[in-house]
Amino acid sequence: MRINSQCFIAGLLFLINTACFAVPTIQHWQTSNGVNVYFIPTDGLSILDARLVFDAGSVRDGSKKGVAALTSNMLDQGAAGQSAQDIAERLESVGAQLGTSTSRDFTSISFRSLTDQNALEPSWNVLKEVLNEPNFPIVDFSREKKRTLLSITRREESPGTLAQLALYKEIFKGHAYASAIQGEESTVSQLVVKDLQNFYQQYYVASNLKVILVGGLSKEQAQNMVEELVGDLPLGVKANAISKVNDVQRGVAIHQEYPSQQTHMMYSTPVLKNNDADYFALYVGNHILGGSGFSSRIVKEIREKRGLAYSAYSYFHPMVEKGPFLMGLQTRNEKASEAASAVKQTLKSFIEEGPTEEELIAAKKNIMGGFALKLDSNKKLLANVVGIVASGASLDYLNNFMGQVKAVTREQVIDAFQRRVKMNSMVMVTVGQALPNKE
Amino acid sequence: MKKLSAAVLLSTIFYALSGFASSENLLNIVHEKVLKNGLKVLVKEDRRAPVMVSQIWYKVGASYEHDGITGLSHVLEHMMFQGTDDFGPGEFSKIIAENGGRENAFTGADYTAYFQTMEASRLEVSLKLEADRMHNLNLQEKEFVKELQVVMEERRMRTEDKPQGQTYEYFKALAYTSSPYRNPIIGWMQDLEDMQLADLADWYKQWYSPNNATLVVVGDVDAQQVFALAEQYFSNILEVSFKSVKKRIEVPQVGIRRSIVKQQAKVPYVLMGYKVPVLNSVEDDADIYALEVLSGILSGGSSARLPSRLVRGSQVASSVSAGYDMAARLPTLFLFDGVPAKGVSAEQLESALLEQIQLLQTSPVEQKELDRIKAQVIASSVYEKDSNFYQAMQIGMLETTGVGWQKGEQYVDKIKAISVENIQAVAKKYLIEDHLTVVHMQPQEMKNAH
Repeated sequence: MRINSQCFIAGLLFLINTACFAVPTIQHWQTSNGVNVYFIPTDGLSILDARLVFDAGSVRDGSKKGVAALTSNMLDQGAAGQSAQDIAERLESVGAQLGTSTSRDFTSISFRSLTDQNALEPSWNVLKEVLNEPNFPIVDFSREKKRTLLSITRREESPGTLAQLALYKEIFKGHAYASAIQGEESTVSQLVVKDLQNFYQQYYVASNLKVILVGGLSKEQAQNMVEELVGDLPLGVKANAISKVNDVQRGVAIHQEYPSQQTHMMYSTPVLKNNDADYFALYVGNHILGGSGFSSRIVKEIREKRGLAYSAYSYFHPMVEKGPFLMGLQTRNEKASEAASAVKQTLKSFIEEGPTEEELIAAKKNIMGGFALKLDSNKKLLANVVGIVASGASLDYLNNFMGQVKAVTREQVIDAFQRRVKMNSMVMVTVGQALPNKE
Repeated sequence: MKKLSAAVLLSTIFYALSGFASSENLLNIVHEKVLKNGLKVLVKEDRRAPVMVSQIWYKVGASYEHDGITGLSHVLEHMMFQGTDDFGPGEFSKIIAENGGRENAFTGADYTAYFQTMEASRLEVSLKLEADRMHNLNLQEKEFVKELQVVMEERRMRTEDKPQGQTYEYFKALAYTSSPYRNPIIGWMQDLEDMQLADLADWYKQWYSPNNATLVVVGDVDAQQVFALAEQYFSNILEVSFKSVKKRIEVPQVGIRRSIVKQQAKVPYVLMGYKVPVLNSVEDDADIYALEVLSGILSGGSSARLPSRLVRGSQVASSVSAGYDMAARLPTLFLFDGVPAKGVSAEQLESALLEQIQLLQTSPVEQKELDRIKAQVIASSVYEKDSNFYQAMQIGMLETTGVGWQKGEQYVDKIKAISVENIQAVAKKYLIEDHLTVVHMQPQEMKNAH
C-alpha cells in the first residue's frame, strides 16, 4: 500500500552516507572475463545480499530518453524463455527478492536470498537468466511502456517532483543529467523493443559491471557463484566517459505555477564529483548547514525559529560528474518569499563566516560517534560498499573515514564553501501558487 | 500500511527476570521486566554490531482522540522535543546528536513512540532523557504556536497536496461510523487551528506515565543492565490511575458505502475496504491469520494474484495492492487500492477487483500459491533480523496495541497452519458487499496550472 499510517516528527534527509566503518575488509577479485567483484563475508545471519552495478544509467540514453530505465525495468519481465510470472514464482517460492533500478549514472540489480542451498541455488539461477538472457517480450514491453507513460503523467500530480525536474533541467542545461530518468512522454512513446535490445547489448557487458556481495558465504563459494553468474557476459566496450557538467554562470529564479497549498522550493547548483578533494570539508560543513536534522542551521532557521516548514534540508549529491548541492523545503504559498529569503541568508552567512568552532566539534561528535550505526546491518554494509565501489573510491575509504572527518578544520570548511558554492550560481526553483503581491 | 507478513519471529519466549543462560543462548530472546510503577521493559540482545536502538512506546494515538481534538497526540509528539524543566527546547536533540545518535518519533492510530539509535554504550543517555520528558515536559506557548505551524505544513505536504493522500482521508471517514479510525492521524485542519496549549497539557497528564508505556531496547546490550538502568531513571516516576479507555466499537455496517472524491489530479485512483476483525477483537484467531495469508495471496510479491492477473494479465491496473493490519488495536479494514491503466476507468478496475474477490470465494486457491506465501513469510522472518530497529518496532507495536509481544513468536507457525480451505472460508465470511466501502478519486482539470 502506498498509504502512510504514521506521521514522523521529522522528514529529514541524510543523503550523504557513502561512509563506512573501518572494521570490515572488502575482499576484491576479478572474474575470468574481468568483472570486478567486491565481497564482505558476514556471519550470524544466513542471508546473501548482492548488487550488480552497470555503467548504464539514464545518462546513456542519448536521444532515446527513458531507454535505460525501461531496459532495466524489463529484465525480469521475461528471460530464457520464462515469463514474468514464471520468474516471479521461482523467486518467491523460495522467499528470494529481486529488483532493478536506474539512476542517472548507474543501473543496479538487487538480489536477496537465504543462503540455504534450497533457496539460493534456484534463485541464483533466476538471477543468472535475467541478467544473461532477457527476452524483452513484446506484450510485456508494451505494457511496461504504458505503465511508464502513466507514471510520467503522474509526475504532474506532485509539485515536489515537478520542482526537481525543473531544477535539473536548468542546472544541467545542455547535459544528459538534465533529463528525467524515466524520460518524457514524447520519447518513451517512440521506444521500440529493438531500442532496449541495443541498449542491453551495448551496456550490459562485463566491462561495465561491478558485483558486490555481502553475506554468509565463504570466499570460495562467492567466487564460484559470481563466475557462474557473469562469466558468460561478453566483454563488450567500456562506456564512454560522461561529459563534464558546466558550472552555472548565472543563477536564475524559475517559478512554475501549480495549484497546491504549498510552494516547493529548491535552491541548488552543481558542485561535487565523486572522490573530490573537497569532499570531507563540504560533507562536514553541510552536516552543520543542513545535513543533520534538528541540529542543523537550516532546520533551526526555517522550522524551529519561523515555523515555516516540516522538512528543510541541504545535501551534496556527488555524482560521476558534478552533482547538485541542494537546499530544499516546502512551505505554505503565502510564506514562500519569506522562506526563500531565509534560505538564501542562511547559506550566505554560512559561506561567509562558516561554522563556529562549537558547531564543528558537535558535528564531528555526531558523525564519529554514530559511525557504527552506518554498518550495523548487512543491508547497510552493502549500500556502503556499493557507494564506495560505484564512485571509484579507494577500498580503504572505510578505514580512513574517521581520520578524514576528524582532520577537517573550520578554515577548510570556509575555504571549501567559498571556492565551491557561489551564491551567484545558485538556481532557485519554486513550484506552487504565486501570490498577487509576490515579488 | 505495515504488514505483519513481513513481521516477527522470536525463536523462544523468555519470561524470567534473571539471566542464567550464556549470552550466545540469549540471542533472539525477549527479556521482560515490569517496574513497580508499571513501566514494562522489553530487551532483546543482538550482538552483531556495537549498537542499540531504544524505543519508548506510549499507549496513546489518534484512535484515543475524540471529535474536536483530532491530531492532539501527534502535536504532543512534536512538543516532546520542545523542552522540559531541566532542558531547553532542542536540547534533547542536541545531546543525542553529540553522542553520535540518530533519533525521531512517530505517531500512529494506536501508539506514540520515540526512539534513539546509538552506539551501545550510550543507552544511559537515552534513558535519562526519555525518563525526564516522561514527566517533566515544559509546554510553552511560544514553542506551541510555532510547532503547530510546522504540523500544518506537514499536513499540507502529506494530505492537501497529495491527491491520493487526501482521497484516503475521505475514504476512512466514509468507511467508519463510530470507530475512532475514521479520523486522520495528523488531525483535521480545523482541529489543528482550534488546538490550545491547555489541551496538550491535559493530554500529556492523562497518557504519559510509566504504567502506560513500554520501553524496548534491542542491540548489543545486557538485559540485566538495561533493567538496572531503567530502574535507576524511571522508578521515581509516579504511576497514574486510568479510567478505562472507551471501547468505541464500530457499529455494524449494513450496506455498501460509495463515494466520489474529486481532486486536482491526472490519473484516477480506487480505494476499497471491507470491515474485518483483528487479533484483539476475536477469541479464535484462526480467521485472522487466514485473512493475513489472503492478503499475501492477492498482493504478496510480484507473482501474487493482483499483479499477475490485473497488472500483467488483463492489464486493467497500472498498479494495485491489498493490505491488512491484523495487529491493529481495533477492528479495521481489509484494503485494496489501485491506479487504473491508461484508458481504463475506475469502474472497470473496481469490477476486476470484485471479480478476483468472487473467485477467492467460489474456488480454493492453489496449494502452490499458498506455499509461496509461506516461503516468503519464513524468509522474511530471517531477513528482518538484519535490522535492530525493525525487531524493536514489532515488539513495541504488538505490546502497545494490546496484542502482546509474545504473539510475534507464534506468527510463523500460525501462518504455516493455514489451509486453502481457511482462505476460502474467510473470503466468503468477510469480503461481503454489505461491509464494503468504495471510493473513486476523479481527476479534475488543474486550475492555475500551465
